[in-house]
Amino acid sequence: MNSVSPVLAAQNLVVEYRQHRAVDNLNLQIPQGCVYALLGGNGAGKSTTISTFLTFNRPSSGQVLIEGESPHANAELVRAKLAYLPENVALYEVMSGLENLTYFCTLANIRLSSDQAHSLLLDSGLQADAHQKRVAAYSKGMRQKVGLAIASAKQAKAMLLDEPTSGLDPSAANDFAQRIRAAADRGMAVLMATHDLFNAKQVADRIGIMKNGRLVEEFDAHTVQHDELEQKYLAHARGLA
Amino acid sequence: MIKTIIRKEFLATLRDGRLLTLGITLLVLFVGFFLTSMYELQQLRAEKHSVGTTAKEQWNTQSVKNPHSAAHYGIYVFKQDTPVAALDPGLRPYIGQSLWLEPHKRNLTRFNPAADQVLAGRFGQATTSFVLTALLPLLIVALTFNSVSQERESGTLRMLHSLGVDAGQLLFGKLLGLMTAFSVVLAPALLLAAVILLGNFAFTLDDALRLLVLMLVLNLYYGTFAALAISASAYFNTSRTTLFCLLGFWLASVFIAPRLGAVSAEILAPNPNASQFWREIKDDIDHGLEHDGDHEERAKAFEAQVLAQYGVSRKEDLPVGFVSLNRQHNDAYSVKVHALRFDALRDNFVRQQHLSHLGSWLGPSLALRSLSMTLAGMDLAHQRHFEDAAEQYRQYFINLTEDWDRERSRGTERKATGEETDWRSVADFSYQAPNIGFALRTAEVDLLVLLLWLGLSVGLLKISARRLAP
Ligand SMILES: Nc1ncnc2c1ncn2[C@@H]1O[C@H](COP(=O)(O)OP(=O)(O)O)[C@@H](O)[C@H]1O
Ligand SMILES: [Mg+2]
Repeated sequence: MNSVSPVLAAQNLVVEYRQHRAVDNLNLQIPQGCVYALLGGNGAGKSTTISTFLTFNRPSSGQVLIEGESPHANAELVRAKLAYLPENVALYEVMSGLENLTYFCTLANIRLSSDQAHSLLLDSGLQADAHQKRVAAYSKGMRQKVGLAIASAKQAKAMLLDEPTSGLDPSAANDFAQRIRAAADRGMAVLMATHDLFNAKQVADRIGIMKNGRLVEEFDAHTVQHDELEQKYLAHARGLA
Repeated sequence: MIKTIIRKEFLATLRDGRLLTLGITLLVLFVGFFLTSMYELQQLRAEKHSVGTTAKEQWNTQSVKNPHSAAHYGIYVFKQDTPVAALDPGLRPYIGQSLWLEPHKRNLTRFNPAADQVLAGRFGQATTSFVLTALLPLLIVALTFNSVSQERESGTLRMLHSLGVDAGQLLFGKLLGLMTAFSVVLAPALLLAAVILLGNFAFTLDDALRLLVLMLVLNLYYGTFAALAISASAYFNTSRTTLFCLLGFWLASVFIAPRLGAVSAEILAPNPNASQFWREIKDDIDHGLEHDGDHEERAKAFEAQVLAQYGVSRKEDLPVGFVSLNRQHNDAYSVKVHALRFDALRDNFVRQQHLSHLGSWLGPSLALRSLSMTLAGMDLAHQRHFEDAAEQYRQYFINLTEDWDRERSRGTERKATGEETDWRSVADFSYQAPNIGFALRTAEVDLLVLLLWLGLSVGLLKISARRLAP
């Protein structure tokens, strides 16, 4: 490991499910403080890419690296350096948001005081009166906020977000984007899968368009024009490019 | 980490409505059945005690008569059940527990309640242990079958994996958390049962130990089911497949294994039928065992030996009653033959019991049932222990009457008499049931099978943990 390694990198990554190639020769580099949005339609391979960093999948060839090391060679890396926010945050229904946070954190060896736990939830946007309620009564957005609190508690080097704003109302999505931005500004590397162009443009530093497992275009989010991005994205989606 | 998992699983199981609803239904059922069978046990004990006392009192108050005639009056003796039998009546419905003790002949136990009880009564007896050995494992299956697959389906497994949770700790944490929740729900009922038992029966230390060990092995048994259910839940992809397989296993273990075991035992080590059994005893007595000569030869030899011993040439001149002496000699031979045949029969029971474990490949229930009835003192080994003690007692009082008969007459006359003080001098039958050490030695194979299943289930849990993919 050396300090110039990007926090997250994919090198010639190929991931296959039986015969089907879900990720095809993908190359990515995400340095500290960078939010990278993987933009693409359903089935483009975004989730598979994220899963591979988390070692839910194994590469068929190529590799993923976390600060220069392969998590498939050293399983400890995932625990130590990654935070994960799935598309549907999975929580235990019969426990409260607070209990879920505390449980997941304890399992990740993070000791939280009750005050710390409450403030993590508040910082993630979950109203105080919901903290003690059972998750079964939560909306999708509320679950997402607990998920974010869990991910933040880890103080990880990198955060992997799979469609974090899908199903959130616009104002919640906006809040969420700002929290992600803030985390990146504190030095976190973020890999975010999304099919929401607006969301990508709003938060990301770099945007990659993925299609059929391949990275077909890459942009600097700060310089690309929204119209241009939109046209390219739609063209790929319609299979014109 | 594992403590956190145990605590969370414990809380989640308790908060999950299923445990409470199912558990409480089962417990109400259990307590109902328990009260019924306890009441029955109490009745039975009182009945046995009073019939036993009456029988001996009737013996005691016989009129003046020939001692051997008095012996023919006979004495009934009863096997007292341990209080633990309220939880498992074992073989009580199938074998009797009283013995009719009479001269010349050793009897098999009679007083078989199953023969003169309506179906409802049998149902009531069987169900306390049915709840403990069959329904509670089913409850465990119902609570556990989706414990891992649900986490996989909902995605929490991926969360846990991304947090670096060790799969082994997760699965074993689930096992211990579930068992703790299960015990908490079960504890009030068992406590209640224990209090009721303690309040209604005089408990010896041995009874208490038996009860304690029974609780312990039941827990091991439930643990086996829970470990198997959790590893199946981790192994199979969907909750449905898991449930299907676990129900199959439960059926096989609880219902098919005992029948398979019984059938294998009966085929591989068949018992003689009753008429054959008694005929062989009669033949052995008539024709004599090897080198003993037949009945007539033995009688002649005995007569010659007695005449020589007393230095007389005719039976009529003997200073003691020859009729009694001769009878005692014949009885001794009969005792020897009976002992051989009875032991062979009961050794075959033991062989059958061991062979029945061929059914234990299908699950631990057969071993548990057998172990539980042994701990309750309601199995064949305790029965045999009782029968042997009763046989000792039979020989004791028959020989006593023969002593009186022989010493109070001479030659071939039959004038000996006895009176109430004689009859009263026959000690009461006081049976000391064997202790828990005896039970544990008897149940060695059952214990071994149960531990093997526990080991297997824990091993499977370890394997499932190693292959657990999010
Ligand atoms: N577990 C799986 N087994 C088989 N094929 C899968 C599996 N997960 C995803 N795929 C396939 O891989 C491709 C990429 O899927 P995914 O990474 O989920 O795409 P995205 O997240 O961009 O919608 C799709 O064609 C999908 O059908
Ligand atoms: Mg996806």
